[in-house]
Amino acid sequence: MLASGEALREHTLRFCQVLREDGLPVTPARVIDALHALQHIDPTKEADFRLALRLNLASSREQEVLFEQAFERYFRQQADTRQLRSGIRGETMRGQLGHHYKSLDQQVEALPEAWGVTESGHHVDLSSRWDPDAPPLAQIIRELAKRLATRPSRRFQSGRQGERVDLRRSVRRNARHGFDLLDLSRAKRKQRRTRLVMLCDVSGSMDAFNPFLLQLMFGLQQALKSSRTLVFSTATTEITAALRRRTVNDTLREVAETVRHWSGGTDIGAAIGRLNRGVIREGAASATVAIIISDGYDNGVLERIASEMQALQRQVSKVVWINPMYGASTFKVRAAGMKAALPYVDHFLPAFDARSLRVLVRELALI
Amino acid sequence: MSDRPFSSLERVQTLFANDHYIADRALALTVKLAADLQKPILLEGEAGVGKTELAKVLARALDTPLIRLQCYEGLDASTALYEWNYARQILHIRMAEQDLTARAALESTIFDDRFLLNRPLLAAIRHPGPRPAVLLIDEVDRADEEFEAFLLEVLSDYQITVPEIGTFKATHPPYVVLTSNRTRELNDALKRRCLYLWVDYPTPEKEREIIRQRVPGIDAALADAVTLTMQGLRAVDFYKRPGIAEALDWSRALQGLGVLELSAEVLQETAGVVLKYREDVERLRALDANAILNGKPGQP
Repeated sequence: MLASGEALREHTLRFCQVLREDGLPVTPARVIDALHALQHIDPTKEADFRLALRLNLASSREQEVLFEQAFERYFRQQADTRQLRSGIRGETMRGQLGHHYKSLDQQVEALPEAWGVTESGHHVDLSSRWDPDAPPLAQIIRELAKRLATRPSRRFQSGRQGERVDLRRSVRRNARHGFDLLDLSRAKRKQRRTRLVMLCDVSGSMDAFNPFLLQLMFGLQQALKSSRTLVFSTATTEITAALRRRTVNDTLREVAETVRHWSGGTDIGAAIGRLNRGVIREGAASATVAIIISDGYDNGVLERIASEMQALQRQVSKVVWINPMYGASTFKVRAAGMKAALPYVDHFLPAFDARSLRVLVRELALI
Repeated sequence: MSDRPFSSLERVQTLFANDHYIADRALALTVKLAADLQKPILLEGEAGVGKTELAKVLARALDTPLIRLQCYEGLDASTALYEWNYARQILHIRMAEQDLTARAALESTIFDDRFLLNRPLLAAIRHPGPRPAVLLIDEVDRADEEFEAFLLEVLSDYQITVPEIGTFKATHPPYVVLTSNRTRELNDALKRRCLYLWVDYPTPEKEREIIRQRVPGIDAALADAVTLTMQGLRAVDFYKRPGIAEALDWSRALQGLGVLELSAEVLQETAGVVLKYREDVERLRALDANAILNGKPGQP
């Protein structure tokens, strides 16, 4: 037998609080739904109880995993799980919950240290690589985002002009003329936004361009909320969430926390492979513009670069490669990685500072 | 209509098993809760793990029609909810012009039920019963975000408003199954209204059972071998890992070819049934086929 209905509810509410702290969007509406669901199951069966909660409180694969972990922690770890099932009085339960909470807190506090130990990489102070005096790129980046990220939608928008007659509106509007179709409403295609996926090289050879790269990544991510940004050197890390922070300082701190391979070696093929199997598949690939920012110096397998680039180009609508070295007048494609990738790049463009970015925007307009 | 068509979890499992659909406990509970709470089910998972099939089986188990809305980019209200039959409307107008009284009544008759084309969502809401229909909204991630807004009214209140006529409220709210291949994240508001379940690749035991049920007359040893190979194939990071659908196709193909025992050659020759990318087929060629047949591929 499970604890009284009230105790069950109490536990559920507490558990919802834990989930919220873990970052699940457990809104009051969801909690109510979950409590409703509990009325339709046999609460003595733990698997059913767990599933009924999960169905209502988690709504993606990642959230399911977080939920399972939290559930284990919350319900399993208590030494009194059996007591919970055999029914206990509210008073003692609250006491135990308090205890449980304390142990949970201690656990959470202990975690970062534990992670730090396993982390072999080094920590880079990115704030020194952010140039606060650089000319503001906001305006130019917004323009760049607009150029890159719009395309005609398949949806129509009605109005006075357009390539197509909007029959629905026409019939409705001409009611006053006794349904003689005198003035026609028309419809034209809406503009729709494209998704940007940015893959940015932060290996040692790119260090000189770091201030510009950071500005570009931060700016584009802020301008296009739905875009995704990954950085790579020997490993690949997604930093989209960090770039969504409101201030540059918060972002830099968080990026430095999560990316431990900054200024490392380069494995372009692996990074693009990760893109192909992950981020690209998680969104409408045909509506994606992939931007790779790298100098193309690579110490991975060259064949891998070619095959992954080919796969990438076939999936997304456009592949843009921005090479900061390309601006130099003496530039020749020497980097082997770059040579391998070049046949599969739709637009190969220079950019290393604000001025070259302006040229890039102008060139994109011609595409 | 009974409010609770499924008295218990086991009942769901039995009904589905009669239709050769193996529902594990999680799926059965989801179906039961969805029926009890009148909430839509949102199934996510890789292509070919049986998401769409669930809706079909549910309709058959409840002996009720299945109304299917296949989503695609650009799907809009006029293809999903309702549309006016303009040709008929204009014809009606021309005919009414001959007759003064009809002309006067035109405004009220032109937006009549007769001229309304019911698209899948409206059809599901207006389904006359006696049992609620099953509404399958397939691959909702393919539709664009604007479309999810239409769904909200339908899925939370089971009603659709047609401005010219009024609001249709379902007398028998349909059972709704949404599927998504997760090519993009769905809106939180939509997710909130659904029971969410991630459908994973089946366990070997479940897959073996599915193959035996769905491919009648298959040799038991062959079914075992196929199951084991599928495990091996899924452990390789192909662009598209094979799902249950591929396992079934392959089993039928092998049965049709009269193959009784799997070998490396058979696997390579029939790779096109399980792997749908050229790169994946080439990748398979480079791998140790015998290790895959044993369910344990070594990564190259």
